[in-house]
Amino acid sequence: MSEQIIGAAAPRVDGPDKLTGRAAYAADHFPEGVAHAYGVYSHIASGTIVDLDLAEARRSPGVIEIFHHDNFPKLYRSPATFAQEDMVDETRVPFEDNRVYYAGQFVALVVAETFEQARAAAYKVRVDYDAETTAANLDQAIETNGTVPADSHTRGDADAAFEAAPHKIDATYTTPVETHNPMEMHATTARWADDGRLVVYESAQGVVFARNALAKIFDLEPGKVEVHAEFIGSGFGGKLWIWPHSVATCGAARELGRPVQMMVPRQQMFTTTGHRAQTRQHLRLATDDNGKLVSLAHDTVSATSMINIFPETCGSASISLYGCDNVRMTHATAAANQGTPTHMRAPGAGVGLFALESAMDEMAEVIGMDPVEFRRLNYTDYDSAAGLPFSSIHLLEAFDTAAEAFGWSRRNPEIGAMREGDQIIGWGMASCNWPAMRMPASARVALRADGTAQVHCASQDIGTGTYTIVAQTAAGELGLPLDKIEARLGDSSFPRGPISGGSWATASALPAVAAAAREAIETLKTYAVNPSGPFAGGNIDDLVYTAGTLKDGNGKSATVAEVLNPQSLASAAGDAQTGGAPEGEYSFQSFGAHFVEITWDPGIAELKVTRVASAIDVGQVINAATARNQVEGAVMLSLGSALFEATNYDERDAIPVNNNYAEYLVPVHTDTPKIDVTLLDYPDYALNELGARGIGEIGVTGFQAAVANAVYHATGKRVRDLPITLDKLMDEA
Amino acid sequence: MDSTNAPAQMRVSLHINGQLRQLDLPPNVVLLDALRNRLRLTGTKKGCDHGQCGACTVLVNGQAVNSCLALAVMHDGDEITTVEGLAADTQHLHPLQQAFWEHDAYQCGYCTPGQLMSAAELLDNDNVGTRDTDVSEAMSGNICRCGAYQNILSAIQQTRNAR
Repeated sequence: MSEQIIGAAAPRVDGPDKLTGRAAYAADHFPEGVAHAYGVYSHIASGTIVDLDLAEARRSPGVIEIFHHDNFPKLYRSPATFAQEDMVDETRVPFEDNRVYYAGQFVALVVAETFEQARAAAYKVRVDYDAETTAANLDQAIETNGTVPADSHTRGDADAAFEAAPHKIDATYTTPVETHNPMEMHATTARWADDGRLVVYESAQGVVFARNALAKIFDLEPGKVEVHAEFIGSGFGGKLWIWPHSVATCGAARELGRPVQMMVPRQQMFTTTGHRAQTRQHLRLATDDNGKLVSLAHDTVSATSMINIFPETCGSASISLYGCDNVRMTHATAAANQGTPTHMRAPGAGVGLFALESAMDEMAEVIGMDPVEFRRLNYTDYDSAAGLPFSSIHLLEAFDTAAEAFGWSRRNPEIGAMREGDQIIGWGMASCNWPAMRMPASARVALRADGTAQVHCASQDIGTGTYTIVAQTAAGELGLPLDKIEARLGDSSFPRGPISGGSWATASALPAVAAAAREAIETLKTYAVNPSGPFAGGNIDDLVYTAGTLKDGNGKSATVAEVLNPQSLASAAGDAQTGGAPEGEYSFQSFGAHFVEITWDPGIAELKVTRVASAIDVGQVINAATARNQVEGAVMLSLGSALFEATNYDERDAIPVNNNYAEYLVPVHTDTPKIDVTLLDYPDYALNELGARGIGEIGVTGFQAAVANAVYHATGKRVRDLPITLDKLMDEA
Repeated sequence: MDSTNAPAQMRVSLHINGQLRQLDLPPNVVLLDALRNRLRLTGTKKGCDHGQCGACTVLVNGQAVNSCLALAVMHDGDEITTVEGLAADTQHLHPLQQAFWEHDAYQCGYCTPGQLMSAAELLDNDNVGTRDTDVSEAMSGNICRCGAYQNILSAIQQTRNAR
């Protein structure tokens, strides 16, 4: 393995495609004869469709067909399992019946010759509903529908220890519905080939999962479905599995016998393609007189849909981040008239560490301890929830490194004491924590006579840089320059690769790529000793491969071309399947720390995050540029979560009222603080041969708490309800 | 959007990336959709269709415009530059494209064409100051949900400073 290429800040191999407009995303494909679909989405959040008046819409120019619950083909549901890789979160198939469970649910689908014609006709569909009362938010959901317990963890007796402890805090934190809003709206371009195959260009974080789910829904052999996602306009979890629009588009294409394309409008990206659920988190922490945690309870209720149960597992990190003998974690859901929630970047811990790491600061204040010192004191290198040591933990170094980069030693702990002109400065920090997972994966590497190598893997690059790190891994194994590697991803017919999610694509796919590259070299050697090969009659064990050339012990050498060409062979290919994370010896997790500066100008009520120093340990960094970019991007996503983001549902009828990019505020250029990222770069070889643990999500964890802690330091106001909007900081008149 | 009183098609001439393209379009075709669906210039992206995200930014007569907010027929005779026409030829990258590549000024790449076109206008716009905060303010109509803002700023500043 070349040391130079692994860890290098190599510019992305797909950069020129993205920079010139050549990169083709799901809606950039126009199969011959493609028709355009536009949805009709429910204006109510609960009830039944009483009547659909399609007369005017059908007369609209260019309309081919209008699908709805009375004429859409009968389809099956996907079993929605991880084991069979056919997960979906909203299991209901669109147009199953006339029931409406949430606003934005598909009511009809207009297919027309052009996009404009489909849109115009969709606006003319008249729907009469029999509307029923709704549970619009978590409070109403709990009150109306009660709670359903989900997973839990208990060790010791958290309640008894809490009662007996000398120092304690008891606080409830809430987080709103957040919506992924990747720049690329969900899109599907579906074509049924003459031989009955379904070919789909889908904005998907998992082409294998999408293929398997569609195969179940349309009752096809998986080999009869092909899902392509060569470029994806990110997803943040929202595109892990298919949503109703994919099914609707594929179904329409089958019924009409021609390709159909649909892009979900931005408004419905808030309704029918998942979101991060609203949460209420009850934290109870207690310490002894020395500041050691003696009790930690993290009890969460989150909203789910009327159709499916999806718990937001906020306590998943709380059970092992700090040492504590008495711990309780519970999760429960309550059904609301909202679309089905799903994973959103750092699901669970993303908003869970907002609560825990805010509570840690509250606890530190009660016992009069510096927030960093309090966390140090409760550091552990043992995962008590799993009963295993962490494979590699450098959290204390992360504290030191980020604190040093930030200048934490100059912090005046007194509230509101740090000022600059009209501005009050607040400094806060928090820990980051995300599990490192690894899944079975396959890849194929082919050495070619022209001196290049191809890598095939049915994983995806959603923007994290997977194309580039796959190419780097192959380049390292094969000793070839990066520009001689062609990495091919995003096609379900390639060897089975991991989803781009959970921060496990890197840790899962790269070992398969490395092993396949070595297999390709072995294949090349067997070809070389063929009767018509350059080492005919030789022993493959005597051959040594270096940078595209085979040598024997007698000074003879042959290039890949010299092996392949005389035998009329296109390539020397190797396949490899690698396994999941080794079990039973270690708990694999990544750790880090965020230090954040905010400024609060009370005169004009301006709150800004001005400076961030983050130190993150994700094992071996494969590409220094794309890895840093991931952490910076995570900081920006969670800056939005901290200060701006909330999908608001009208409490009277459960209609989302700010479902657009103007009223659902996300960070823009001018909100960007100075972000200083250090990657500690300790390879974790217990997880895989590259020592890489994955980096997509950890930067999202803890950040909102670091902001809230900084806001408290500046203002003395402890905001326990995200987002930290200005009204929560202004003094009452 | 009742089409009964509107002419079914209108002739529009667009000078796109230096080429005259004549189209017969219904009057309700938005410039973005004309570029993408009819001319298959799919480098320009649809991110919201409401002028809220900037992904569809193109240059119209040298000015950065959200192409989702204009009807194609309103641009008869206009010079339009899309990301496909940013570089002088297909063998080379424009200095901004090169700088974006070097600075890793993107992740998923979906907002990138819009970021590039807004930045291209900035290069020649002396009304925008030279400080980082000036450029960030001027670029704030282009959302990057991946959050590559710091690298985008570096890439733009490097390109501006080199001129």
